[in-house]
Parts: sequence; C-alpha cells; structure tokens
Amino acid sequence: MRGAPVRTTLGGVGDTSDRELVRRARRGDRDAAAELFRRYWQNAWRAAYALTGRRALADDAAADAFERAFAALDRFDVERPFAPWLQRIVANRTLDLLRAERRLAGDDPPEPVDVGSSHREGDRALLEAVVELPLERRVAVVLRFGIGMTPKEIAATLDLPVGTVNSRLARALEQLRESLEVEHVRRD
Amino acid sequence: MSAGIDQRLERLLEALPEPEREAGERALAKALDALPARRVPPRPHLRAAALLLAAAFVLLALAAGALAAAGALHVSFGQLPPPSRQAQTARSARQLAVPQGADAIAVVVDGRLSLATSGGLQLEGLPVTVAALSPHALYVAAGIGDSLVAMAPDGRRAWSRGAGGRVTAIGWAPDGLHIAYVVARDGGFRLHVVEGNGRRDRLIDTAVRPVTPAWRADSLALAYVAAGGDPVVYDLAHRSRTIVSARSAQDATRLAFAPEGGALAIGTRHGFAVAGGGAALNGFDFAPARVGGLGWLDGELAVAVDPAHPGREDTVVQLFAVARGAAEPLGSLVAPAPIAALDADGGRLTVAVAAPAAIRVLSSSPGAPTGKARLPQTGTVLELAPGSSVESLAVR
Repeated sequence: MRGAPVRTTLGGVGDTSDRELVRRARRGDRDAAAELFRRYWQNAWRAAYALTGRRALADDAAADAFERAFAALDRFDVERPFAPWLQRIVANRTLDLLRAERRLAGDDPPEPVDVGSSHREGDRALLEAVVELPLERRVAVVLRFGIGMTPKEIAATLDLPVGTVNSRLARALEQLRESLEVEHVRRD
Repeated sequence: MSAGIDQRLERLLEALPEPEREAGERALAKALDALPARRVPPRPHLRAAALLLAAAFVLLALAAGALAAAGALHVSFGQLPPPSRQAQTARSARQLAVPQGADAIAVVVDGRLSLATSGGLQLEGLPVTVAALSPHALYVAAGIGDSLVAMAPDGRRAWSRGAGGRVTAIGWAPDGLHIAYVVARDGGFRLHVVEGNGRRDRLIDTAVRPVTPAWRADSLALAYVAAGGDPVVYDLAHRSRTIVSARSAQDATRLAFAPEGGALAIGTRHGFAVAGGGAALNGFDFAPARVGGLGWLDGELAVAVDPAHPGREDTVVQLFAVARGAAEPLGSLVAPAPIAALDADGGRLTVAVAAPAAIRVLSSSPGAPTGKARLPQTGTVLELAPGSSVESLAVR
C-alpha cells in the first residue's frame, strides 16, 4: 500500500542555543558541532581575511581556529558566550600565522592583497587602506571594529597595556583617514 | 570624518567577500575530527576496574623505581639518556644518513618525511604528503595539510602558501627558480607553477594526473601528464603546450628529462618511451615485468624493472644508452628486492627497496660501474618497517 510521503524531523539543531550546542558537541555530537561551525564560520573567516587580506591565509587561519576551538571545548566555560571566545581564537591563530610568516620570510614585502572584486567601491577602498596598515595597527582595528572587542579585551588578547592598544587605534584611525582622503582626491 | 570611518569599519566584516564553499567543507571536516571522542558514562564495575588499573600502575611505577635504584633498569622522564655504544650501533641503520658526497636526502614514507642534510640536520616524522629537494638541497618543498611549504634545512628562511588542496607531487626546477606542483582539487588534480620564493603562483592546467612533473635541464619547460594520460611538455616562456601522443607513452606514470639535449623519458607501467632531443624512441616494453622507477644517470637512462613473479627473477636497474631512436642496454644493477622508488642525480643512483624485513634505501657512489653488479649493501642509508609505502625519494 502506498501512502502519502511522511515528513519527519531528526533531532533538529537549528534553533538550539549556542550553550546547548557546545554541551552536546562536548559529548561528541557531530551534528551539534557542525551547527556551531555553520553559525560562525563565515564571520570567523571574514575576521581572518580582514587581518590578512588574503584568501588562502584566511582559509588556513579560520580552519585552524575552529580545529583548536573544538579540541578545547572541554575547557570552555559554557556560562560565557561562545562567539567572542571563538573570535579570540581566530584572532590569535591568525596573528600566529602572520608572525610566523613574517619571521620566516624576513623583511620581504607581503603578497599583493587579494581584495575581492565584488566590493562596493567605498568598502574596497577602506579594506585596501586597512590591509595596508602596519600589522600591529591593522590587528587593533580589526579586533576593535571588525570583531567588536573592547580595548581591554584586545589588550588581554595581545598581552599589551590598554594604553598601547588605545594609542594604536588612534594612530590607525588617523592613518586610515589620511589614506581615504588621498583616495578621495585621486578620484576627484 | 573619524566618526564616519568608525561606522564604516564596523560594517567592514559584513562587506567582505565570502569564503569559498570548498574551504568551509575542508575546515568543517578538520574541526569535527578535533572534537572530543564521544564519551560513555563509566559503569560502576568499569570504574572499579579503572581504579584497580590505576593502583596497578602505581605499584608498577614503585617497582620500576626500586629496580632503577638498584641499577637494573633505567627510568627517565623527558629527555632520553645518551644511548650506550651498543644501542648506537643498533640504531644507526634506522636513521637516515646522507649518502657520501651528497648535500641531503629526503624520503617520504607512509606520509612522514625523513630528512638529513650534510650540515647535520636530522628531521624525522614530519607529516607531509610529498617532498622535493631544491638544487644543492638549499630548501625542501613539501605538501603539509592543504599548503605548499618550503623549509630551509638550516631553518633560516622558508615560506608557506595555501594550495587549496592536498599537494600530491612536487618538482623543483634545476635552476631553483620555480616549483611545479600538483594539487588535488574538485575531484581532480591541477598543475601549478610557483616561483622558488613562494610568489607568483600560476595555474598551468586544470586537469592533470598526480605524476611528479619533470623539468627540462634549462628550466624553461616542464613535462606533466594530462588527465587523459598523455604526457605534455609546457614551455614557460611561450606558454605553449606540446602533447606527446604516442601509443607507447599513453598512461605515463613517470617522467624524466635527460640532463642534456632535451630528451624526455616517459615511464609507463610496463615500459618506457623517449620523446624529443634527437633521441626519440617509440617504446621499450618489459611486460609482464613492471617499471618501478625511471631516471637519467650520467646521460644514461636508468629503469627499475621489477619482475612480474617475485622470486623467479631479480629486480634490476637496467641501464640504457638512448640515441637515434634506439635503446642499447649497457648493463644492470641487481637490487635485493622490488624497487619502490628511484632517484638519479648526476652520477648517483638511489633506490628504496621493499625487502621482506624492511624498506631499505640504498645509494650508489657517483661513477658506479654500469656493468652487472650488485647495488652496494654498505650504502644503506635508512631501514624502515616492512609494508611501508614510499611516496617520494630525493637525493641532492
């Protein structure tokens, strides 16, 4: 006998809170871990991309960060929000890769920035200006404005005094303003 | 103006491009592999067993400590003690040693790189997919994860770049200025060429086979195997391709340019052919015996020939003079077991043989006799567990 097709739901995870997903992932639930990944992969990758300006490096950094985060789920405090914890791991892993690359490649100039062609002109100019910032200023800007960390959180992540972070942010904004003004004049 | 930049910066991430789908899939697989293993709550009797086991371990440790105090057993944590003279002798055959007169040797076995340089660097166990030495062994390029990585044997300078997939073959140009590499992507394989410093990566062909690319001696052209099985010679300067469409060269598994004259040796499963360079040869067939390796040894073609029925015939490295469309056998070197990999560099021949008790890497001295002779047993530079798979072998 043929009846109408029956729809069933197999343990959906789409509406579950991050906290519950983390708890389940800790017990080895791959569906819950995959849902966490889907929720935050894009933002994690974009943060790594904003820091590096290169797709390949962003791929490696964001993937490494998720691998480390999932391996360290047992040590994560579920009473705290998952996203900022993950973003800190992304930032640290990206910085590690950038530092390692700089150490290995010496003083050679970095590869040309791989900014996508799909940006609006203004965003593209801003992104190019950001990736042209010296590494320490770029990191401060992306962590502050891209990831939304407070200067205090950035200081803790980078192991720096808060005053140094504020100083880097101020200088970075100044440099960005100058870069965009130059760009504006050029287009005029 | 500053306030405007603040707001635009806050929208920066939203305006950034999206990651590629394949990158996400690879990252997800990697992340899921890192998850803690699924835990099962311990049952009461298992918990008791675990406690008993722990107690036994403590007793064992105490007993070991007592023996150590009595001098009957050496117990150490952290750094290993210096080996005794006897232990050093026993271990020496299992450590990779640089063949006499060479700068370095790199072997990838079961996905692990062993590297030794004349400068004293000894690297063992680095997980890689494949590795290749630059001329004079100034660098080693290796596939690590989804990246192509160049390491300086002295650890001074190196670089890494994402390859977008697993690197399955690497060929370093003789002038050291370019690296050709094959990467697994989208269910197939792609050929790239990148400069020796890791910059200016160029996609050469989107459909190739995972065969190690071979460079012509002038470093201006390279040969690879297209997805259809035909060897192709790619001219870097003119960006032109020449397909070697000979029946005897179809389904090529190995490629090697002669050190002079531009002749390309093409190894297949049961034979070889030579194209170009005035030495074109339509084919030499050993069937049912198999070709286990191919290279040029001081201008002579060295072909590893494994018998179809082990035990009935010797495995040999057959040497040929190739000229004017003919291959004249010059002699052969008998190997003690089937050859898993062969590297010829100048006058030095190095082979990895799969002996029943171990994988052995043997290296001849430059200028070894080309008449029938046994490969030097004293030239063993590495012994590995039997059943291992040799992915690549290079001596420079």
